[in-house]
Order: sequence, then C-alpha cells, then structure tokens
Amino acid sequence: MNDWLGLHDFIYYRTREGANWLLEGTFLESSANDIAFFIFTLSVCLITFGGIMLSMFMILWIERKFYARVNDRRGATTALRSLWVGENGVTAGEWWNMVPYGLGKPIGAINRWLNKVAGNSGHKHEMVNRVGNRSWYGVTIFPGFFQNIADGMKFLTKEHMVPSRADKIIFELAPFLVISSTIMILGMIPLSSGIYGANPELSVLFAFAIFGIAPLGVFFAGWSSNNKYTLLGGIRSAAQLTAYEIPLLLSILGVCIMAGSFNFIEIVHFQHSSGTWLFFLMPLGAVLFLISMIAEVERIPFDMPEAEAELVEGWWTEYGGMRFGLLFAAEYMRVYAASILFAHFFMGGWHAPFAGTIGSIPYLGAAWLAIPGVIWTLLKAWFIFTVVFVWARTALPRIRTDQILEFGWRMLLPLAILQVALSLVYRLYFFDASALSDTVAGGWTWDLTVLGYTLPWGLPILTTMFWIGLFAILMKDENIVENEERMYHIRTMTPAGTHTAGKE
Amino acid sequence: MAEMWITMGPQHPMTHGLWTLRVKVDGETVTDTEAELGYIHRGVEKICEARDFTQITPYCDRLCYVSAMTWAHSYVMAAEDLLEAEVPERAEYIRLMAAEVQRLASHLMWLGAFGPDIGNLTLMTWCLRDREMFLDLLQELGGSRMHYNYPRIGGVKRDIPIGWGNRLKAKVKLFEHRINEYEMLLDESTIWLVRLQGVGYATAEDQLNAGVTGPNIRAAGVNTDTRWTNPYSVYDQVDWEPAVEKPTSVKGADCYDRYRVRMEEMRQSCRMLLDAIDKIPGGANTHYQPGDEMILTKAPTRAPEGATGFSTYECTRGVSNFYIQGGGDGRGKNPYRLSIRSPMFITIPYVAKTMIGYKIADIPAIMGSFDPCIGETDR
Amino acid sequence: MVTAVTKEQNAEAAKAVVENLSSRFSDAGVVAEVIAHTSGKAYDFVRITCSPDQWRGVAKHLKNEVGVNYCAMVTGTHFPEGGADRGWEVAYHMYRWPIANVAAHTMTVLEGDKLKGDEIPVEFEIFIPLPAGDTPSVPSIQDIWEGADWNEKETWDLVGIDFEGHVNMHRVLNPHDSPVAFHPLQRQHKIRYHDFNEMYDDPQGFGRKPVDEGRVK
Repeated sequence: MNDWLGLHDFIYYRTREGANWLLEGTFLESSANDIAFFIFTLSVCLITFGGIMLSMFMILWIERKFYARVNDRRGATTALRSLWVGENGVTAGEWWNMVPYGLGKPIGAINRWLNKVAGNSGHKHEMVNRVGNRSWYGVTIFPGFFQNIADGMKFLTKEHMVPSRADKIIFELAPFLVISSTIMILGMIPLSSGIYGANPELSVLFAFAIFGIAPLGVFFAGWSSNNKYTLLGGIRSAAQLTAYEIPLLLSILGVCIMAGSFNFIEIVHFQHSSGTWLFFLMPLGAVLFLISMIAEVERIPFDMPEAEAELVEGWWTEYGGMRFGLLFAAEYMRVYAASILFAHFFMGGWHAPFAGTIGSIPYLGAAWLAIPGVIWTLLKAWFIFTVVFVWARTALPRIRTDQILEFGWRMLLPLAILQVALSLVYRLYFFDASALSDTVAGGWTWDLTVLGYTLPWGLPILTTMFWIGLFAILMKDENIVENEERMYHIRTMTPAGTHTAGKE
Repeated sequence: MAEMWITMGPQHPMTHGLWTLRVKVDGETVTDTEAELGYIHRGVEKICEARDFTQITPYCDRLCYVSAMTWAHSYVMAAEDLLEAEVPERAEYIRLMAAEVQRLASHLMWLGAFGPDIGNLTLMTWCLRDREMFLDLLQELGGSRMHYNYPRIGGVKRDIPIGWGNRLKAKVKLFEHRINEYEMLLDESTIWLVRLQGVGYATAEDQLNAGVTGPNIRAAGVNTDTRWTNPYSVYDQVDWEPAVEKPTSVKGADCYDRYRVRMEEMRQSCRMLLDAIDKIPGGANTHYQPGDEMILTKAPTRAPEGATGFSTYECTRGVSNFYIQGGGDGRGKNPYRLSIRSPMFITIPYVAKTMIGYKIADIPAIMGSFDPCIGETDR
Repeated sequence: MVTAVTKEQNAEAAKAVVENLSSRFSDAGVVAEVIAHTSGKAYDFVRITCSPDQWRGVAKHLKNEVGVNYCAMVTGTHFPEGGADRGWEVAYHMYRWPIANVAAHTMTVLEGDKLKGDEIPVEFEIFIPLPAGDTPSVPSIQDIWEGADWNEKETWDLVGIDFEGHVNMHRVLNPHDSPVAFHPLQRQHKIRYHDFNEMYDDPQGFGRKPVDEGRVK
C-alpha cells in the first residue's frame, strides 16, 4: 500500500507542470521537461539524502545518551527516573494535590513509593547518595543535539597529515572509496514509498553491491598508511567483512525469495499485503541479518579491527581532520543504513503497525493512519538501533578476530543457507497468492489450514514460537556437574554471588 | 607474511602505564616478546637516602599510586622493624581498614581498566563510579584522594572521623550488591568467557619460582597469602579467607581465574571491613586526637648503623617488601639504604613470556589480568 | 576465619632450618642464625651470612634440600667506609612457602596452624659481604630461581654489582644509553637537592651548579 505522502510523484508532476507553465512561449519551451526533470531529481535527492543525514543526528544522540544511561552517567537525558526524583533536587512540586475531589492522592502515594524504592534518599548517608544521584544543571531544549555538529566542525579544523612513506595515491583514495560508497547507498534506500532517491527494479542488489565496496577501501587504508598497526587492522577488517558479507547476502536472499522481488518498495509492500512482517516469518534470517550487519559496520562486539586497546583505532589511525571525521560519519551512516534496511526488510518499512485494527477505531484510527510513512520508518530504524546496536555495544566485550571468523564461517553461514532453504519452502508451499490484498487491513496469505481449522497468521505465529522456544532451550546452562572441562559455551562454574572462598 | 616486531608503547591505551612491550608477530600469533621498563624511574631509592623516615612516607604513596595506602603501610612496617617501634592495637585496626578499602579501590580500578581492554566499555564508568565511594572514605582519613600520607611510624596520623564507621558500613553493604551486578554483566556473557578462558596459562610453582605472587598465584589453586603465612597487623583477628580459584587445567590458571580471584578478593575485603569496624578497640564512634597514645606511640627517629628492617606485605598486586638499612646521614636519621621490592617489576617480564603463542588480541587480556601498575615497577 | 601461622610454628621451623644449614655448612664458615623481627608480631627469620664463593653451594642447598622456592629481593649496597672486608654487600631475601601445582578444577586450602615440618613458611635473609674495590662480583643464581633474574639486573643497573654467569644482562631502570659504569646508587653520586629549602626557592633547578664547582682543577 502506498504511503499517502508521495513526494516523489508529487514533485515530479509539479515540476513538469511548473516548468511547462513557466517556460511556455519562451525559447526553452522544448526543453521544459528536461529542466523539470533536473529540478525534480535535484530536489528528490536532496530530500532523501538530507532527510537521512539530518535524521542521523538522532542516531548519534541516541547512541550517546542511551549509552550514558546504561553506564549510569549523569547528563541531560530524558530519564524515566527523573519523573519522580526530579533534576538536581528540583521537582515539579506536588501537583497532584491540585486535582479536584482529592483524586490525586493515589498519584502522590505512587510518587512517594517510587521515591522510597528507587529514589535518591533511600540511604541515610549523603556520601552514598552522591553515587546514586542523577542530576543535571540548567535547562536545554535539545540536550546534546548540537554536540555532534560541533564535533563535525571540529574535525574541519584539524590537520590533514599524510605519513611520509605512505603510498600517497592510495592513502587519499581509500577514504573516498569508503565514504562515497556509503553515501551512494543512501540514494537507494527509500524513506517511504514516496520519498526515495532512485528506484531501479533491482535496487536491493545494487545497494548491496555498493555496500560491498567498502571493505576494499578499508584494506587500502590499512595498507597504505605505512604503519604496522593499521596494516593489522586493515587485514583483520578485510577478513571480517568478507566473512560476514555472505551470511548477510544470504539472509537478504531469503527476504527476497519470500517477497518475490529484488526491489525495496515491493518488499515492503509485500509485507503489508501478505499480512505479516517478515520478522515473524523468518526470525532466524532477521537475527542473522542483524549479527552480520553489526559485523559489517564494525561495532562492538565485532570491532576488533579498530580495537582501541591494541590497535588504537586500527585501520584509520593515520587519518586526521575531515577524512577521519567523514570515515567516522560513514561508519554511523552504515549503521543507520543497516537499521533502516532492517526496518524495511523485516519490520514493514513505512506501514503503521496494526493499520487495519487500529485504523478502524473512529478518530484515533484516522490519526494513526495520517502519520506519514517516513515517520514510521524512522521510528522503527531508531528503535532497532537503540535496542540492538547500542545495547550490544554497551553490554558486550569484543570478540577476538579468529573467533569472529570462526563464528562467521562455521556458524552463521550454515544457518544462512538453512534460512534460504526455509524461505524457499515457505514461499513455495505455504504461500497463498490469492490472499494478497492491498487494502489498509492487508492480506492474509500466511494462514494455516489444518484439518479444517484455520489459524489466521498461523505460519508466522508458529515460526516465531518455534524459534523463540529453540532459543530458550539453548540458553539454558549445560550440565555443569558432568561437564567440568570449560568450553566456550558453558557458563561459569559458580554462578554470580555464590562463591565462598576456601570452600569447594 | 614475514615476522615483524610491533612496539606497543610507551604511549598505548592498553599498557596501563608507561612501558614498552615489543612483540614479534607472525600474522596474528605472538612468537616473542620483550619488555622495556624504566620510563618513570624516579630514583626513589636514592632520594630516600636523603630523607627522614617520616619524610619517606609520601614517597611510598607515589610508588603505586593506585594502591597508595598499602604501600605506605608496607614501608611503615619496615621502618618500625628498623626503629623497634610498637604500634597500638587501635592503630593496627585502622591501618587494616584503610588497606582493605584501598584494596577495594585498587581492584575496582583494575576492573575498570580491564573491561575496556577486553571491549566492555561499560565497566569503566561503573567501576570508577563505585571507586568514588571508597576514595571518599580514604579522603576523610588522609586528606586527598590518592596520595594520603596517612600511616606514621608507630601508628597513624589521625583517628577515624566520627561517623566514618557508619559511612563505611553503608558503602560496603551497597558495594556487595554492586559486585553481583558486575558478575551478572560479565560472568554471564559468553563473549567475556570466550575471551578470557583458555588464555594465558600460568601454574603456581612456575609463578612462584619466577617471583610472581599475590592474586595471580591464588588463581592457580593455592591459597598462599602473606596475611596468614607471614602474619602482620591484626589480620588473624578479623573474619576473612584468602580468595582462591580452581585453575582450569593442569597447565595452570587462565585469565578468567585471575579475574575471578580478584572479584572474590573484593568480597573478602568487604567482609573484613565489616568485621573490623565492629571489633576496633575503643569503638568506631570515638575520636582520639592526633598523637594520642591510642593511635600513635612515640617512635625513635634514629636507627643505628647495622640495624635492618624488613617487611613482608600483601599488596594488592603481590607481595611487596621493604628492606631498610639504618645508619645514614644525620647520625641515623636517614636510612643508609632503602630497597623496595615491587611485585610488578618481576611480574611484567614473566607475563611478557606468558604471552608467547597466543594472538595479539590476547595481549591485553593476559596483561590486564595480571594487573600491572607501572608506578611501583619503575620506582 | 583464616588461621595464621603461629609464633611457635614459626620459631620451630626457623630453628630446624638453621640446624640443617649449620650441620651442612658451618665448617665452611657460613653463619646461619635465627633472628627475630623487632616489631609487630616479632616473628623469627633465618639470617645467613656467607662469602661469594660459597654462595652457589648454599643457594643450591636452599633450593633443593630446604625447599626455598621464592626469591623475592636482591639488594646491593655500597659501603665506601665499610673497611676492606665490607666495601659492598648483597642481601638476598627469600621465602619458603608451601606451594604445589594442583590438578585441574581443584584447589588447596592450607590452614596456617595445621602446617607441619617443611610446610611451615620461613623467611630467609642472606648477606654476602664483598671486599672493597671497584669490581664487586657475586655468582648469579639466575638458573636456580627465575625470580632472581630481573632482580639481579636491577641491582647491577643501579648499584654496579656484577653477577657472574648472568645471561643477558642489560639496563632495566636507567636508560639503555647510560654511560658505562654509571650506577647511580653508589655513594659517590650525590643527589642534587638535599634540602627542602633549596627546592623551595628554585624547584626546577635553574640555578643549579655542578657539585665540584669552585674546586681548582
């Protein structure tokens, strides 16, 4: 179903009309369409690229603030806890007393209880409070947003140095490869069905072909800097990125098989018109996509190529100034692109969740459906970014390179092949093409009919339950008592907090 | 690819201090190492030959700045052996508590640096946040957060402030929950286990032969701890156990064992603190004036020629010894020779040898798990 | 609750070690005695005084028969006024601790007051006085205890005592390009700032003058 905010077509037709009307009777009349096309392409690209890049500030902001909260750091953050604790001792006052008829008293009780249980003054001693006190000073409207712009401008003021014995041509070429290939992808990715830069028929193929140029640039950077550290980093990076391209592409192949198309917009439409997000039909593929993407964009836990502890920034150690700034920005652009791609492939893109159900509520439904699709895309992308990329980064250590490679080749690759096989089976045998529907409520192609009983959305429900169950079973500890030799997948022998020194 | 030498250091985020580790790598595998120390050699031993015994105490704080109280305590014990001074029991309890609080702070600093080395950046902020609690306690005793100049020959400089005991109890009890939080983050993370298990084996006998002591040996399955083998202060009167960990294999303790030993040591320190604050003679809520005989006995200031003093002390990183020969300048007011044995000076070359055969990515894991501190290494 | 090694155990173990050493070495002139610390718990330790040529024999005996497994510290001291017999002195501090490798996934929990005989920890102090001169030298024990390795390097680097037979001797604390025969802890090298008063007026030493200024050359 097409999003109502169809800027692409809107601008196309308006520019044609406008150019024809404006240039009627002038000597440019015959080329009015071409001029219109130029203006149209320019504005559409600006909107797409600008939209993605400006909304990328949100990504940077989320990363910093969410990361900080997980680290229990102070800062201007929208912290849920500050709703009852206040900021630096300043609260909103006992506003519930102003609710008439004494109806606000329960709110006051909840507030007091929250303060007692999770507040600042649970301890009798000021010193301990100092540790637990989350506070910030002053009032800001956009807490921390402009920091990123300032950071970017700071990079412009730094010196660009080329190491004296570096391979100069390749040294200059490498960041160009990485950065430009990353930005090119942004043109392919639609923000909604009406906002996109370009929409070739095989846009998925093209996007991931471009995505795969970056490892080459990384390797060039590592080699040409004339630095043993960067060489090591570049080699590790090349190996890692190559290893994880394949499960990534195979999981996308699974998506394309399910959706029957290599086009972004059609894949998203398919999710709506078939009745369920692809995440529930292929959770294995979704997880594989995420893990491979984390490895592709070199974030913790897969950031061994730039591990600060050993390699001090890895393959981009020798770059200074805006080259480093743009490489850094390119990494975040790749993360953002990965998040938006996940939203498109597995979470229904720009379609509002439960469009049919909520959409039929009298006034709320209309409001729900009136939200432009681009907002949904961005919200989903930010959600996935926060929950997967940032959270994994804060909680997990780095994996060693050979362990990363082993994981990629020996575990993810077979699973990706399995996912492709499953996608084939689902599409061929469980897909009911006649139930595709383009209405607001979507279709119901994945129902399971067994012995006369129809389970609506049966296939996604069963699939999801199966994989969650498998995950839960595998998460449980192996039998520690029998299995004394520590192997990687066994947890610690004494669970946290239970070991007594001197006792067995 | 041919083998090449990589120089890690002296400026490097991983090395926890200023030293150079040169590694010869074949691809990603380490085939040889060379440790170069001495970048912050400040000549403390020579300087101390021109200082009074009381004036030496601040220098000892600066030996290992992360663990200052324990080094000052170690020195003061050796000086008391030299000058034949007695220490009142209350002062011994205060010194014990100060040393254990310092051990907690030092281990938290270790964990706060070790976690990011492995990649878990969250640990740095968590550990430093909790370390603040203990630095506040030590600040109340000594006046500053890192270099306290607190123990004196014959006792301590001033008594514990009123309310210090209550604050100590509150913080320690809070901290015991926080250790559980750390273990939840780390021990239940497969990646943490995968990085640390099977890496950096070292057996107990091998380590002791090479001079490595302290938590590193206790990770290899023997509970040797100077606090009971060569007892000092009042450690035999407070409730604690040495923290031991069963090594993974007959090849010895791996990095994971050493990490677990230090977590356990933090728990034992908490236990000791809670017990000591209850048992302190004179009570935790009385405050004696500086110089009162409950906390300080007047010690002789001159040591004749031929007298020697030696202390065996369980520092946070191993066993530290001070060996002082009397009879220096000022008719014995200064020491003739003051020799410091730093555990890390011996451990770092040993660790450099342990790394051979593992990958480059294992270097911070192995190095960090032995807890280096270069201040005491180079003196 | 940990049980520490008691004073009686410690005294008895020290005495046993001294008897062992005396019976083996006393006719060679090696002196072994039990000395008590003079503060704190005042436990006993074993002090051995021997000459450089006896040192390797004593060291091997300590390692193999007495069971000393930990060489902690090597200290070198320069006594320019010590007389002809004691111009230099090397002090070794060692320990005997009950340590044995354990099987995988097991641990040994020793209790202090239950240790007997050879298991009781003993502290050792070995003095080796060297005759005055410019080339003090002591045989190296690097092959007996590995812990002596870097300790000996440091002692040579700072004090200048040669360790014969030491493999790969190099500077550890001083810079690698220090002048040959520069060993700062020897007494003829004076510290520039002796006095806090001087430091107070000129902390960075801009007004420093060489030690021998004013001397007629």
